[in-house]
Parts: sequence; structure tokens; C-alpha cells
Amino acid sequence: MGVYFCLRWPSQMVRSKRMKASSHVQWLLSSVLLLCLVDQANGQKKGVPRGLKCVTRNLEVWDCSWKGPSGPNGTVYEVCIKSRDHCYTSVKPSIQIPALLPGDHEITIYPQNDFGSSPSKFILNEESISFIPEAPEILDLAAEFPTDTLHVEWNDRGSVFPRHANVTWQIRLLCKKRMETIALVTYNSTLNGQDTVHHWSWTSDMPLQCAAHHVEMRRYIDDPQFLGHKEWSGWSPLKSISWSSPDSQPKVFPADKVILVGSNITVCCVSQEKVLSAQIGNNNCPLIHLEGENVAIKIYNISVSESSGTNVIFNTDSNLAGTVIFAGYPPDIPKNLSCETHDFKEIVCTWSPGRLTGLLGPRNTSYTLHESFSGKNVTFKRTEESTNESYQLMFQMTPNQEIYHFTLNARNPLGQSESTILVNITTRVSPHTPTSFKVKDVNSTTVTLSWHLPGNFAKINLLCQIEIKSHSGQELRNATITGVDNSSYLTAMDKLNPYTNYTFRIRCATETLWKWSNWATEKQHLTLEGFPSKGPDTWREWSSDGKNLIIYWKTLSLSEIPDRQHRAEIQLDRNDYVISVVAKNSVGSSPPSKIASMEIPNDDPNMTCDYVIKWCNSSRPGPCLMDWKKVPSNSTEAVIESAQFRPGVRYRFFLYGCRQQGYQLLRSVIGYTEELAPVVAPNFTVEDTSADSILVKWEDVPVEELRGFLRGYVFYFGKGEQGTSKMRGLESGRADIKVKNITDVSQKTLRIADLQGKTSYHLVLRAYTDGGMGPEKSMYVVTKENSVGLIIAILIPVAVAVIVGVVTSILCYRKREWIKETFYPDIPNPENCKALQFQKSVCEGNNGLKTLEMNPCTPNNVEVLESRSTVPKIEDTEIISPVAEHALVGSEAEPENHVVVSYCPPIIEEEIPNPATADEAGGPAQVIYIDVQSMYQPQAKPGEDAEAEPAGGSGYKPQMHLPVTPALEDEDDDLDKAAGYRPQANVATWTLVSPDSPRSTDSNSEVVSFGSPCSINSRQFLIPPKDEDSPKSSGGGWSFTNFFQNKPND
Amino acid sequence: MNGRTSRQDRALGADLWFSLPAPLCLMTLLMPPFRQAAPISPAEPIKQAYSLALYMQKNTSTLLQTYLQYQGSPFSDPGFSAPELQLSSLPPAAVSFKTWHALEDAERLGRAQEAFLALTQHLQLVGDDQIDLNPGSPILLAQLGAARLRAQGLLGNMAAIMTALGLPVPPEEDTLGLVPFGASAFERKCRGYVVTREYGHWTDRAVRDLALLKAKYSA
Repeated sequence: MGVYFCLRWPSQMVRSKRMKASSHVQWLLSSVLLLCLVDQANGQKKGVPRGLKCVTRNLEVWDCSWKGPSGPNGTVYEVCIKSRDHCYTSVKPSIQIPALLPGDHEITIYPQNDFGSSPSKFILNEESISFIPEAPEILDLAAEFPTDTLHVEWNDRGSVFPRHANVTWQIRLLCKKRMETIALVTYNSTLNGQDTVHHWSWTSDMPLQCAAHHVEMRRYIDDPQFLGHKEWSGWSPLKSISWSSPDSQPKVFPADKVILVGSNITVCCVSQEKVLSAQIGNNNCPLIHLEGENVAIKIYNISVSESSGTNVIFNTDSNLAGTVIFAGYPPDIPKNLSCETHDFKEIVCTWSPGRLTGLLGPRNTSYTLHESFSGKNVTFKRTEESTNESYQLMFQMTPNQEIYHFTLNARNPLGQSESTILVNITTRVSPHTPTSFKVKDVNSTTVTLSWHLPGNFAKINLLCQIEIKSHSGQELRNATITGVDNSSYLTAMDKLNPYTNYTFRIRCATETLWKWSNWATEKQHLTLEGFPSKGPDTWREWSSDGKNLIIYWKTLSLSEIPDRQHRAEIQLDRNDYVISVVAKNSVGSSPPSKIASMEIPNDDPNMTCDYVIKWCNSSRPGPCLMDWKKVPSNSTEAVIESAQFRPGVRYRFFLYGCRQQGYQLLRSVIGYTEELAPVVAPNFTVEDTSADSILVKWEDVPVEELRGFLRGYVFYFGKGEQGTSKMRGLESGRADIKVKNITDVSQKTLRIADLQGKTSYHLVLRAYTDGGMGPEKSMYVVTKENSVGLIIAILIPVAVAVIVGVVTSILCYRKREWIKETFYPDIPNPENCKALQFQKSVCEGNNGLKTLEMNPCTPNNVEVLESRSTVPKIEDTEIISPVAEHALVGSEAEPENHVVVSYCPPIIEEEIPNPATADEAGGPAQVIYIDVQSMYQPQAKPGEDAEAEPAGGSGYKPQMHLPVTPALEDEDDDLDKAAGYRPQANVATWTLVSPDSPRSTDSNSEVVSFGSPCSINSRQFLIPPKDEDSPKSSGGGWSFTNFFQNKPND
Repeated sequence: MNGRTSRQDRALGADLWFSLPAPLCLMTLLMPPFRQAAPISPAEPIKQAYSLALYMQKNTSTLLQTYLQYQGSPFSDPGFSAPELQLSSLPPAAVSFKTWHALEDAERLGRAQEAFLALTQHLQLVGDDQIDLNPGSPILLAQLGAARLRAQGLLGNMAAIMTALGLPVPPEEDTLGLVPFGASAFERKCRGYVVTREYGHWTDRAVRDLALLKAKYSA
């Protein structure tokens, strides 16, 4: 039992390590372990065989060995296998026994020596056996230098093994002196009981010439029936291969290699002298040192080469070696492969090569066109390549084959590609250009066309297109023609016009219409003459003298205006004749065209034959004929076209009906192809002129110059003299230009009324048609003088003036008293003396005033009062006249805060006072315009004022107001005042108090000072001397200003 | 392009014209009884050969530059030079001045004859190589062809001189020998470089040779 374990455990140990350790190490390890365990189990017995271990190399024979007892050599062992009842004798502690069956086997080893060692028993089974195959042997190692491929050949010795088993081979490639592993490859095979030679190839990414290569291999046989543990065999003996240079020159490998753009490549230089540098093109590369002086360089991601390849150069001291690498692309898939035939003999396949491969010359892409049904090939090879060009290959057609399956294979050293196409060649016919195209006459309306179309179209129909050009246009006719094999074709063209020049050309396709051929060279051909099929179109006119009949006809081929060649003149009497006109050519005559010489009376409008429309230029007198046109009798309208029609020319059209060759005139009309504006203006004259009207008369515009149907006249008139450009722009609608539109074309005169006498008028007349306005004709006319008007114009103003004068005189006389009182009183009424009335003149400083003139320039003090209770704060605007200003300066009673405003204009002064406001202003804490109030109160309310507000009377008081003032002490004064006027005697009163003192005004003192502007006293110091110069001062008592100012008051 | 072509045409015309005397001289060669009796003046063929050599000399650098330009870098790099590259089948033009000066007429002409014979064959080889390497370069192929024709023309002229001088004309032989047809693209490029380079050197030397002969026989 103990042995069993001893045997099992190491085997497990070994199995777990079998991939890592070499077989020797495994063996050693297991032996040690075995030894240890057997020692334990046998309890330190000396001289006993121990450590039985068995391996097999071929599964048929087991090699067992053990440790013999210590002692002298010469021990003979007897090994007995209990299950076989057989013993083996061995002089060595090892033995080969045939493989035992599965299951445990008891093995006893009897050492037979002098010491009488005791036997050992072991339990042996398959699980405890290691299967270590023999190391394989490489039969052959060969190098294929151009492809850098190594070929390895070996025998698997399968005959040695009894059973089928999988074998794994491990092949190791080593390089350089230091034996670096450059590749470790696994190869699987099976053992089939026979010796089999295996081949394996390996392609190096480095040229094989660069360094010696070594190969070794081992194997692992995985026999599923073997229960023991399986191990790798040992390595085979090393096989080496190397390249030796035939001479001492450095050599570079690989040579002329074609590689894919973007790939990597190793280039090496085999040299006996030191390589100094390497370069690709003109770029230096780092050197990789191989064995000896050999070096290599690695090129990564190579770019596409130029035409002659990419140069790689190695420099040594004395030499230069190199190689050329061609980097390019495998061929692109051929694009747009299409196949067609021109002649059913050859198929032309075209394609475009797609992307450039970058490889030229012998490395360029070769194309092979393979047809799968016939199995035929065509090859195409060229040295240059271009993308913009399409390549083509010719393939000979196989008789009776319609369907072709083409495969185009493109191949270059880097790879191949292909594209395929399946064509039914009968639908891919593109015929050649027809040749030998000929036209032959058949008759005057038919020709035959013949041509040659190369190719064999025997089984298909051709569709040919024939273009027929003549002066009257061109026509395309299709002809389906059965294909023939001799290439000659013929077709007839009918329905042509006789004696006509035709140009024919032809192209062909097959009925499936894949492609048209090119047009054949065109042929001109004149068809044969035919006899005229009908008589010429005929007309007749009597000459102007009525003696000769002129017969006109039109040539049959061309509709032209009859010229001299196409007319004949016959002298005829007025009897009715029938004239026949016959057209003749080299072939024959036409049927006659007949026309009666006389016009038949217009009696029957039901026509039996056609209509004839004849026309001529109506503006020309006499019989005329420009052309005629026959219209079928069933028509009721006809469009007449003629190159001779001109716009603006009036044509007369005659419609004739026909009956038995005779014609009757049905109607005639005039018309224009296009109306134009008249070219001349109507001539007009002034028939009569009066002071207020003009009579204008004009003439018709001649028809030739009218160029259209007259629609009316436009008459413009306006004031204007000859030589002025006043009438320019008549149509611009000027207000002073009147326009009359005369739509009655029969009207020939026009009277213009309502004009001014003796005035120059500009008259303009224009005619117009639907085509537009004609030019204008203008004239200047002066109307006659209007004497009555002039007289009236003088008399009326004179009469008016006289009447006004007389009335005025009478009035003045009647009212003389009042006038005198009003304007020139002997004694001026003092009531009329108002402060403001004469102020203007006073202001202007007239010293020499009359008595009546009061000085209106009162110093007006305006005091603005905050309230009554407080001390009146005088912060007023003292409105004074310049005179008053003087006075103030003189009195020197001026507080600092008084704003002195020079104030004078009398009109404004009148406007300021407002009685209503003045009353209110008298209230407490109000602004009181004292002077203004005082000045006006007397005027407005002479009686009330004094009583109501005695204090308000302070300040300025006009003289006339004085009597009303109760404050006046003087009774006499009152009496005087009653008289209405008071002289300036009381000078003392006026001068006592400074009239302009605000304080005096403010206080309610009895002494009210007055600064009367009308007083003499006041004038004496109020009026500044400078005013004396005023011109108004010289006025004799009243001025116009005053006069007008007073008036409203009156 | 057109100008160049027309110049080439003219050059070819000149070659043909120069090579005309050769068959005539060969005919005279075949008639030994008259050879000694009526020697032709050598001045005229020497003059013709000299003119041709001068004309060739003008184009040699262009040929070399064009050739290198089509071989890719580093051949096409400016200033490329690889004097270490030689062809054993092509006699070198370099010679010491003393040796050259001391050459007899026969040897002088014989060496040039030999060299240009080799050059014509090599130029043909290079032209073939370039059809593979640069198939899309008609300019290079045309220049190589023109150079070969001129070399042949000069050969004819030299034969005429030798005949005029009463010297034996060496038979045309295959100087190229066995061509390594399996030469790699790099070897072909190098071969072409050496041939076009040596063509220039030999043309230079021929000009000197002929100038010397011209001076000698002008009297």
C-alpha cells in the first residue's frame, strides 16, 4: 500500500510540472521522491531494491528501474510479475517489460547477491507510468531564399506506436549566435500506425540570407487510452541553415520585393566589412546588428513607391550596396465592366482600373478575361497604368453563343481582384458606323439607299434611322432591316418630292437599341424629275387700258410672288375667254389651270369652286396686283402671309368667288398688317381771328403718310409767343394748355372761343391712329384787340372815384358840426384828456405840449404786498417811464431792493389794467398794483372809487379825478374840479410829497401825493431833456396815434 | 517637348550623316590592292568625328542627370555620385595623362573604338532595364536611345579614320558578354548609372583624342 502511494504521488507531481521542467529534472525529482517514500514504507530496510519507476517511450515496452541495495556490484535481480507468472532476470537495476494490462500488478524484485538481500514488492499499474516519446528528428531543413521560407521535414515514426493518437509538435526557430528564439510554433498531427513524413513551412519576416537560422522540435503524444501521465519528448537535434555570399561584395536582401503600402519590412545587408550607414531614399535608418558584420534595418509603414521603386542603400567604407523595394497596392476591383459587340464577331469589354496600384512594368496589374461557358481566356497586360483611361479587351465570339459570363481577373504581385458580368450579347450591339453609303434613283419620288455595315448580323434585325434633309426641312425615318452576314444592306425611301435636292445620312442600331452607331457620311442627292401633277396657280388682270389681259401664274415648287417670268400679256377683246396655263418639264406637262378672262357678274354667292383673295397696295392708283391666294371653298377665313407686307402700308384685299373658271368680286376691304403713327401732321390754317376766338381749318393727311386708320386729331392751344418754348411738353398736362380731342375724323374746322384779346396763342394740331400720335404742327396766332373792354376798364374806376368823392363831401358837409366837435374843438374837452391817450407822444418827449396833452408817463409803482399786517416789503417792479426814472434818481429815496423797470409803451399800458383784477387785488395779502388801479378807477367808476377805498387813491391820480377825492382839503378845488378842468395852479400840493415814494403810497396818510403826468409841475421834472428832440413833439395837438387810440373809447 | 524632339531629330540626322562614310570605308577595306595605293586623307573623317564628339559632349551631362532623376532618391538627389560603382565589362576612361599622351594613333583609336562599342551595347541594355523600371518615362528612354545611336555614329567615324590612316579596323565583338539577366533592380539602376557616367567620360576623352588627331593631321 505504501509503495502504491509512493508511486502515485510522484507521478502526480510530475504531471503537474511536466510542461515546465525538462524531462531530466522531472526524472530526478520523481526519483528522489520515490526513494524517500519507499524508504518510509519499508521501514529503513537495508539491501532491499526500492524506488521502482517505469516509463514508456512507445507504449509497448515499459522501462522500469529501481535502486539496488547498497553493496558490491554484481547483484542479479529477478523481477517477477505476479499476474504473468513470469520472472525476468537482470544484472542491472532496470528492466524492460512488455506493457502490462490495465490494473494493478504486483511485481517482486529479488536481488540475488551474496548478502542475501530480501525481495521487494511493488504494485505497478499504467497510471504510474510516464509516457515520454522519443525526441523526433528533423529529416530535412531547406530554405527558399526568394520567398524567405524555411521548409522543415520530419518523420513521425507512427509505426512505432500501436494506436492512433494526436501528436502536438513544437517547432522552435532560433537565430543569431546567442540562439534567440525567434519563433515557437505548434503543429498538430495524428499518428496512424505508419511512418509519415510531415512538412512544415515558415516564412521569415527577415530575409533568410541575413543570418543563420536553426530549427529544433519536440513532440507530445496525446494517447487517450493511455492512463499514465504523458510528457513532452526531448528536443530534436538542431538543424541549421545559412547563406553564404558567393563573393566578398556586400549583398542586400530582399531584392526587388513587392510589398503592400503601409506594411513593415526588414532589409538586411550581408557584408564582410563594416556597414557604416543605411538609408531609404535619402533618410538614414538606425542599424540593427546581426551576426558578423551583417546589419538590418526595419522600415515601418512604407509609403507608395515611385515608378522605379524605393531605394534602400547600405554604405560601407569602400562600397555601396542596395536594393529596391516596390511598395504598392493590390489591384482594385475593375470598375464599370461592360461588354458589347460592334459586329457579332468580337466582344469588346471595357473597364476602368480604379485605384492606381503604384506598381509598373513587370509588377503592373495583368488582367485576364475568362468566359465561363466557353472556358476561353484573354489576357491583357500593360506596363504603364493610368486611371482616367478605360482598358479594353477583345474576346472572339463563339458561334451560336448568346449569353456570355465574363470574369475579369486583375492580378499583381500583391493580390488579385475580379468582377463579373453576364451579358446577352444580342442586346449589347453597338454597330460600327455604316460605310459605303449610296443613294440610287428609282423614280422621281423614290430612291434606294445602300450601305455597308461591318459584322455578321444574320440573326437579328437592324433598326436604321435615316435622316432626310431638304430645303423644306428635315425628317427622320426608321427602317427595320433584317440583318445579313455579308454586311450589305439596302432600303427604299419613297414619298420624296421629285427634282428635289435631298441630303441623306444613316445610322443603325439593333432592335433592342443598345447604342446607335455614328452617323454615316451624308450623301446629297437630286431626285428625278416628275411631270407636274397639277397646273400652276393662275390669275389674270386686265391692264389699265383695258385692252390687254395679263395672266399670272405661280411656279409649282415655290410659292413666290409672280415676277416677270411668270406672266404673259395677251391682247383680247372683251369677250369671255378661258385661258389655260400648263406647266411643262422634261418629263411632261401638267393638267391645265383654267381661268376665264372676264369677271362674272356678282349674282350668285353660292360658289362652286374655291375663293381667291387678291391684294395690292391700296395707296397706289390704278389696277394693282401684289399676290393672290386660293382658298378652298369650304373655308371662311384665311391667314395671308407675305414677306411683302410692311407695317404702316394700307392694303386692299379683294375676295373673289369662283364659278366655272370665272371669278366674281365678292368684297373688298382695306387693312394694315400693323398700324403706325402718322408721319406728318395735318396742314392747318387759321381762317378767322376775333378778339376772343380763332377758327382753325385743316386738311386731311394723305393715306401713305397716315400709316393707319385715322382715329382723330388732338388740338392744343395756349398762350405763347413764337420763339418761346412754352408749348413744349404738350402732353404733360399743363394747366395753361388746353387740349381738344377731336374724334370726329370728318371734322375739319374748330373754333376756339373764350380767348383773350390781343394775345399771342400757340396752336398745335396732331393726327393720331391706333398706331400712335403723329407729329405736331404748330402755329402762333394773335387775337384781335378788344376796344369795348378797354373803355369799360377805364370808365368804371373813374366813375367810382367820383361817386365816392361826392358822397364824402355830402357827408362831411352834413356832419361838419360833429366833426368839428370831435376833431377840432375850440376848447379841448378835458374829459378827453386821458392819461394814456397821448402818452406815446409824450413819451417821446415833447416839451412843447399843448394844454390838452397830459403826460401819460406816470411813474407807476407796483408794490407787491405779502400781507397787510407786515411791514410792506417792497419788492416790486417799479414801472416807470424814463422820465420817472429821472425823477427817482433825483429824489434818491430808492431802497436797494427795488427793482426798477423802465416801462413805457402806452398800448401795453392800456392793456395791463384790468378793473376786475384791480378790485380783487385790493384784498388782503394780495398783490396790489396800486398805481394802475388808481389810474383807472376814475375812468371806470368815477363816483364809487373814492368812497370805497380812500386809501386806494393814494399814488397816482389823474387831474380829472381830483375832485372826487374826499381827501382833498380844498373846497375850491372841488368847485374847480366840477368845471371839468383844473389848471395846474396848485403846485404846492403836487410837489409836497414825492409822488413816487412807495412809502407814501403805502401809508394811509391824508396827504396823498400825486405825481400827475399831466401836471405842469410834474412835467417840469419828469420829462428828460433829451426827449425834446422827438419829432412827434411838434405835432399840433393830436397825432394819428392818439386819434386812433381814442376812437374805441368814443 | 517639341523643340527637344526636333533637336533629337536633327541629331539623329547628323548621326546618319556622320555614319555614312563608314560603309564606304569598309568597302575600301575589302579592296586591299588599292588600300596602299590610294589612301584617303584622314583630315576629313577626323573633322567629322570631332564635330560629332563635340555635339555628343554637350548632351552627356543631360543624359546622366535625366537618368538619375528617374531612379529615385538617393540617385536623384542633387550631387549624387558613386565613383566606387564600376562595371567590369566597361573599360574605364580614366587614364594617366602621360600614358594617354604617349599613345600611338592605332592604340588611341582602338581603345576608343573598343569603349564606344561597349557603350553602345551597354546603352541598349540600360534602355531595356529602364523599360521595366520606368515604363512611363519616354523622355529617358528616348535619350538613352539617342545616346546609343550617337555612339554608333562615332564608331563609324572612327572606323573611317582608321581606314584613312591605314590602320586595321578591329572587328565588332560582343564586349558585354554574359549579361546577368537576373540582376536586381538596384543592380540595374547602378549599371545604368555607371554606363551613362562612363559614356560622358569616354565622350570627353574622345573629344581630346580627336582634337589631338585633328591637330596632327590637319596639315
